[in-house]
Amino acid sequence: MKTTRILAAVVAAGVAATLAACSGSGGGAAGTAAQHSDTLAIGTMTAAASLDPTQATGSGMPYYQAVYDTLILRKADGTYAPMLATEWSYDDTRTALSLTLRQGVTFTDGSAFDGAAVKKNLIAFRDGGGGSATELSALKSVKVVDAHHVVLELKQPDPGLLFSLSDAAGLVASPTKIGSKDLATQPDGTGPYTLDTASTAIGSKYVFTRKADYWGDKAAYKTVTISSFDNENAIVNGLKTGQLNTAILQTVDQQTAAESDTKLTSQKFEFDFQGLILFDRAGALNKALGDVKVRQAINYAIDRDALLTGLRQGRGTVTSQIWGPDTPGYEKSLDDAYPYDPAKAKQLLAEAGYADGFTLTLPALAGITTDAMTSALSTQLKKVGITLKWDSLDGSTALQKIFRDRAYAGMVMNLGQATDAWTVVQAAILPGTFNMFGYTDPTVTKLAAKIAAEPADQAGADAKALNEHVVDQAWFAPFYRMTYTLVTDQTVKATTQSGMAVPSLYDYTPAS
Amino acid sequence: MTTFVLRRLAAGIFLLLVISFLTFALLSVPHTDVGRALLGQNASQAAVDARNASLGLDRPMLAQYADWLSHAVRGDLGRSWFTGEDVWSALATRLPVTLSIVVGVTLVTAVLSLLLGVWAAVRGGVVDRLVQVLSVIGYALPGFLVTLVLVLVFAVQLRWFPAIGYIPFTQSPSGWLSTVTLPIAALSVGAVAGVAQQVRGSVADVLERDFVRTLRARGLPPGRILFRHVVRNASAPALTVLGLQFVGLLGGAVLVEQIFGLPGIGSMTVQYTTRGDIPVIMGLVMVSVVGVVVVNLVVDVLVGVPNPKARVA
Amino acid sequence: MSETLQNESLATDPDTNRLERAPRRSTWSAYLHSPLGVAGGAVLVLVVLAALLAPVLAPQDPSTADLALAFHGPTTGHPLGLDSAGRDVLSRLLYGARTTLGGAGLAVAVALVLGVPTGLVAGYRGRRFDGVASWLVNLVMSLPAMIVLLASRAILGPTVWVLMLVMGVLVAPSFYRLTRGVVADVRGELYVDAARVSGLSDARIIGRHVLVVVRAPIIIQAALVGGIAIGLQAGLEFLGIGSGDTPTWGAMLNEAFQNIQRSPGLIVWPGLALGLTSASLVLVASALRDALEGAGGARRARRRPAPRTSTTPVPVPAPVPSSAGSDVPRGGLLSVRGLAVAYGTDDDAREVVHDVDLDVGPGEIVGLVGESGSGKSQTAFSVLGILPRGGHVVRGSVTVEGQEVLELDERARRTLRGRVVAYVPQEPMSNLDPTFTIGSQLAEPLRCTLGLSRRAAHARVVELLRQVEIKDPERVARLYPHEISGGMAQRVLIAGAMSGDPRLLVADEPTTALDVTVQAEVLALLRRLRDERGLGVLLVTHNLGVVADLCDRVAVMQDGRIVENGTTAQVLRRPEHPYTRRLVGAVLDDAPCREPWEPPSSAPDRTEATA
Repeated sequence: MKTTRILAAVVAAGVAATLAACSGSGGGAAGTAAQHSDTLAIGTMTAAASLDPTQATGSGMPYYQAVYDTLILRKADGTYAPMLATEWSYDDTRTALSLTLRQGVTFTDGSAFDGAAVKKNLIAFRDGGGGSATELSALKSVKVVDAHHVVLELKQPDPGLLFSLSDAAGLVASPTKIGSKDLATQPDGTGPYTLDTASTAIGSKYVFTRKADYWGDKAAYKTVTISSFDNENAIVNGLKTGQLNTAILQTVDQQTAAESDTKLTSQKFEFDFQGLILFDRAGALNKALGDVKVRQAINYAIDRDALLTGLRQGRGTVTSQIWGPDTPGYEKSLDDAYPYDPAKAKQLLAEAGYADGFTLTLPALAGITTDAMTSALSTQLKKVGITLKWDSLDGSTALQKIFRDRAYAGMVMNLGQATDAWTVVQAAILPGTFNMFGYTDPTVTKLAAKIAAEPADQAGADAKALNEHVVDQAWFAPFYRMTYTLVTDQTVKATTQSGMAVPSLYDYTPAS
Repeated sequence: MTTFVLRRLAAGIFLLLVISFLTFALLSVPHTDVGRALLGQNASQAAVDARNASLGLDRPMLAQYADWLSHAVRGDLGRSWFTGEDVWSALATRLPVTLSIVVGVTLVTAVLSLLLGVWAAVRGGVVDRLVQVLSVIGYALPGFLVTLVLVLVFAVQLRWFPAIGYIPFTQSPSGWLSTVTLPIAALSVGAVAGVAQQVRGSVADVLERDFVRTLRARGLPPGRILFRHVVRNASAPALTVLGLQFVGLLGGAVLVEQIFGLPGIGSMTVQYTTRGDIPVIMGLVMVSVVGVVVVNLVVDVLVGVPNPKARVA
Repeated sequence: MSETLQNESLATDPDTNRLERAPRRSTWSAYLHSPLGVAGGAVLVLVVLAALLAPVLAPQDPSTADLALAFHGPTTGHPLGLDSAGRDVLSRLLYGARTTLGGAGLAVAVALVLGVPTGLVAGYRGRRFDGVASWLVNLVMSLPAMIVLLASRAILGPTVWVLMLVMGVLVAPSFYRLTRGVVADVRGELYVDAARVSGLSDARIIGRHVLVVVRAPIIIQAALVGGIAIGLQAGLEFLGIGSGDTPTWGAMLNEAFQNIQRSPGLIVWPGLALGLTSASLVLVASALRDALEGAGGARRARRRPAPRTSTTPVPVPAPVPSSAGSDVPRGGLLSVRGLAVAYGTDDDAREVVHDVDLDVGPGEIVGLVGESGSGKSQTAFSVLGILPRGGHVVRGSVTVEGQEVLELDERARRTLRGRVVAYVPQEPMSNLDPTFTIGSQLAEPLRCTLGLSRRAAHARVVELLRQVEIKDPERVARLYPHEISGGMAQRVLIAGAMSGDPRLLVADEPTTALDVTVQAEVLALLRRLRDERGLGVLLVTHNLGVVADLCDRVAVMQDGRIVENGTTAQVLRRPEHPYTRRLVGAVLDDAPCREPWEPPSSAPDRTEATA
């Protein structure tokens, strides 16, 4: 008797729940579509790391932009606009940057946004050991003039500073939370949204809800969800069924799949270039690479058009330079600096004393070098006598071997093309992560120093000279810039962000 | 019975210790540069080294393990190196997803393979061959192809179910059902194929046992003999297989989780192991070993229900 | 992947094991009779050949890429077309077979090497080694497979060989358990004992006798594990946990999947190769299993009596007309005329009982004598209507109390069983359902067919147990079959047979499985029941001693025919048919051991019997 009644109650509750779900808009696949106008569902392949801004890197920006504001806003076209800082100016030596801070802004926990908060954040970012901490390596100290004015004092001029302040380094968290471990999962900023920790599954789906008392324009969506996936197939399925509203697609086949759906809009853009980075320009590990003729020969031996057609179905632009069209210093003619010319490659190799060719060992990285790519490159280089040997490596083992053990003279990599020349120089030219053998030459040293010292908008000529030099010296053997697509459904409009793989969170708006 | 359970649990704890040590050692061997993986390509080598040191990765493996263990016994599994999330809460959000699917698959498999297996064994002939052929097909189809086809047909084309994501039961039971149905269906194909074969074999064996003839000779109706006696006798091997299935799926649901974008422990395992997030991996190891111990215990007790000879003392 | 890691249980029917330890030839021919098994085997052979001959067959090197030809369809030089990097699909398929099969082979080999020897020793020796090994097996089975796989891969490198090596280790426990189980089963068996007595070393016994038994299940398991390994390769490849740049079918499948929009056709060949190979492995495994233990562990067992009667070409002497035939008036209780039983379908039917006549009157005990396989049990089953599947009465007539039962439908026949005709089986233990208590399985027909209440049924069960001279029936009713002795089990079965208060008892070798003293008690019990209730009994036996002791009349069967029929005294004293004479002679040969319960009156004297 008792059991039956309980059972009846359970059944009734279940039915009620089902009915409620069906009549409302939350039930099943069809329901999700109905909520669109006030919800934005983003799919991404970038797994969120910590939400502690001192640990932030550029690739995870959309996650941070929901809860944090940056000091400077970087607009879709790459220009800067006020955000938490309303004004900024350099002194004549370009070693002191004065910021005027917005007034009346508070963090979610109620504490006020002021000069002390900015100082605490910037110092914590510089010293916090995060992945982008080097962005502020030039920062000597932060002087708090008053609650709404700070001065960033630099060791030397840093043309990338404004970019950094509009990026990871510019994120500002509540000073009371800085240094706390909880910040990683319970972020506290001045941003347009707060993290709904109850609905969020850290590491896979983040749910953000609109803040009622945001200082700026009311956020476009009541709810924003960012879900990370392991494969783009799932993302495209989500887009097709309306469970996701927008995503960036990198793989060609999934781009095609999304384009075949008439309800989805695809905007093409280029961000990364893919190519061979020749680290060992002094020939320490692989003697042949120390000869510029050999490096040039490699460039001539690569049939870029064939690679682009075969590997990316023609989606992209072949190039021989690592500068992108949006980067000061880009020179269109350099895209074709090394046309496919195996005869010339052979001749150069012979001149360098490698008529019989040589062997180059490269790491094969899951996710970057596909099986098809390694086969194609091997076949192409084999034609001029260069034997490629591929070492298959796994994620973190690969990092260890490439960067710490310096086990390879080069690698195939995708590198982003920033909107300012200095970032490119810092990331790929100067000794550092992608110049781990620390090779340089007088021309490079001289030009890099000049670029570092001049304002970003005046660096064009020197950047171009450096670009030409590096192409001529064949530091790299780029293949092509890859076309990515920003896919949106009918409910949302989005604008690609210059110099970024993903749009800023601010650049999504309801379509209606 | 209680002593048996207690003894098994004690053995389980010992097993947990040994396996935690083995896995920890295994994870410590490869030179994975966790610091670099954490900080990305732009960090300086000094920063990477500092990060590795702050994680204790510069210390000897035994010291690291002792440290982990001393916290673990106090219920502190630490925080993820990558997301900063508490390992317990990470497991708490992920485990229900996988459990929903695995329990669902187990139930569906139990029911379907019982029906198919008994049907094939009893009817023989064409039916038997049909079930056999279906089994072979279900077995030979690569699992991810089945899953992809199901998504394409039932989610993308027909829109009957969502293509991705998971809705917790507590949030919406019907939503939960809609999100787990396709994953369960996808995994059940192979599972039913395997277990139905097993049931068919066991039932066919039992049907040949002498007592079945004797029961017939006593005038009992065939349905009663089949479902009261034959199935009961045939259930032990099937239960064992189901148990193995369950354990296997705890980690093996990864394909389906990735295709459906489900935040379960299968995809978590692949993600976090590839990155070398030791606290989370160790948490996963704990969960999986506890799962194995508990499931084995449950199976042993369950097998004893219909089978007095195997009943645990 | 886990579903097939279980231990496939083999036929444990002691009869099969003892009598039909499969001679190789019959296994082979049984295997060759399974079309699916043959097809699967053929596919496997082809695939292996293709893999071995890859360097000869492949049009080009599998990793030679001509991007200009990417996604190109079949051409003369590339019969299966080219993939996304312009590599020849056929070449990759052929070389892929090498790594794919080689990998699966490695996994199986590792599992075999680790699992089988340990399983052999554990099963054969048991005790401490078994304890340690079983603990290790538990350990391995509790390891989180995915983590171990990924971690090992990080240490040893991302190649298909590493993955398969680790997989081999992880599945080794299934081979261990399988081997140990089978070996433990046969260890106590007669022939191993005999081998041991005859002074063979353990190594020789394992090699010569034990290994032969586990060979087949291991092959089956290996085939299944091989299939799983191939599937696993593809799955891991899909997860991005691939095999580097070695061509495997999994890598091809994944590559095809990455380009499914551009060129959906690419998925066909690797998919087909993978699916066909795994399917073949399963088919081979299941055909092999069927060949070894009869289809589904059953079909051949069912036919077991059939080949023996119909394939023996020994000329059968004509039945002795005077002692059998339709001129005898039909018995009041049971009357069988011209009964023929066959197995199989029309064109494949094999007759195992030919034109049998039999009669049992009320209160009469009739013996049906013959060697095993002579068709006597089939005759008994026909009377009850419980012939195994595939067997059927092809002609003749069976009347019970004057009613023709062969014309009744199954339901009507069922009402006769238990209540009019009851059955006492041969092997007491195997005829009780081990999962129910004695009481509940005795009560079940009472409640189900007689409609008694639970309480009434229980009271009746206790009463029945008392009637078959079981002491403390209340306690015995609560016991499970494995908790009672064989003799008691036979009494329980007789009680079960008596529960419906039948008029005719068909007892199929009711004493054969019992030891000597118990035999006598059971026979006495049967006699008493006959005397008290006027039961008619059809006693199927090969034991002339029992016949002499108990039966009023006796029919002798050979090769499915009644060759002699008459009163006990008549048949035993003056056997007319040569077969009966041989039987009687055989009894005399081992007369000494039967002496205690061979009534002196029925013992034929030696000169008569050998004459």
